Amino acid sequence: MTQDEALQIVYRALERLNEELDTPVDITPHTQLFGADAVIDSLSLVSVIVDVEAEASEAIGQPVSLTDDRAINQPVSPFRDPQTLAAYIVSLQG
Amino acid sequence: MDGETLTGRFVTLRPLRVGDAALTHHWRSGSRARLLNQAAGSVEQQAAWIRSRPANERNFVIERHDGLPVGMLSLVGIDPVNRHAEPGRFLIGDELAVRGLPAAVEAMKLLYELAFDRLDLVRVHGTIASENRRMITWQRYLGMREEGRMRQHYFIDGRFQDALIFALLVDEYRRDTLPRLEALIRLGQVAP
Repeated sequence: MTQDEALQIVYRALERLNEELDTPVDITPHTQLFGADAVIDSLSLVSVIVDVEAEASEAIGQPVSLTDDRAINQPVSPFRDPQTLAAYIVSLQG
Repeated sequence: MDGETLTGRFVTLRPLRVGDAALTHHWRSGSRARLLNQAAGSVEQQAAWIRSRPANERNFVIERHDGLPVGMLSLVGIDPVNRHAEPGRFLIGDELAVRGLPAAVEAMKLLYELAFDRLDLVRVHGTIASENRRMITWQRYLGMREEGRMRQHYFIDGRFQDALIFALLVDEYRRDTLPRLEALIRLGQVAP
């Protein structure tokens, strides 16, 4: 999986989330997903995590967990923005 | 224990008071609450509703540590004989105020600690409107299991929706839910 393919997975999860939100979020590579300037709350983040895990697992062909110790112990949070999340998904391919 | 405040790293659950009537009525009347049960019709009715809460409920306002109220959460139908209860009335009323904070996650963790660790319950359960996709996703991710469906149970936005029945047992909470809650909170802490 390429970085762009992983980014599209994240974008699709955010598009599905936007269908549920009163105030849709702008979807860009640098949309803040979590942290002080995040544009979504933790309820929404879980929705994104679940959708991304499901689609990334299918694409990679192995289970993907975005909240295990490996994810938590990254020097830069995978959830900073779609770009970092996509990069983390790509790194999981080994 | 009725007046107990539950304190986490990011938020506090403090008992709901009559003085919260205007704010909670405002939240319950907003579009974010449209998938919950129908709200009281006025602030006065909301105050009367708060006054009339029975002893088998714990109703909380979720506050940031700076004292800003951001939502509400309850544990109702507490049954100490059969050792079960129902989390509910979960609403983040001020979405902007909690962006970037694991507020909803920690609020739920505090409520589960109350249910399973302090009240020694073995089961929590509840229903979710079938079109409340985010809440269904959230509860499934945190270990709740779907046990059934009540067809056309809710009348929301002018039409009927099914109610999905979810439940979580204490062993599932300790094995599945608690690690995920803690992981989400830690993710919130490490995010730049």
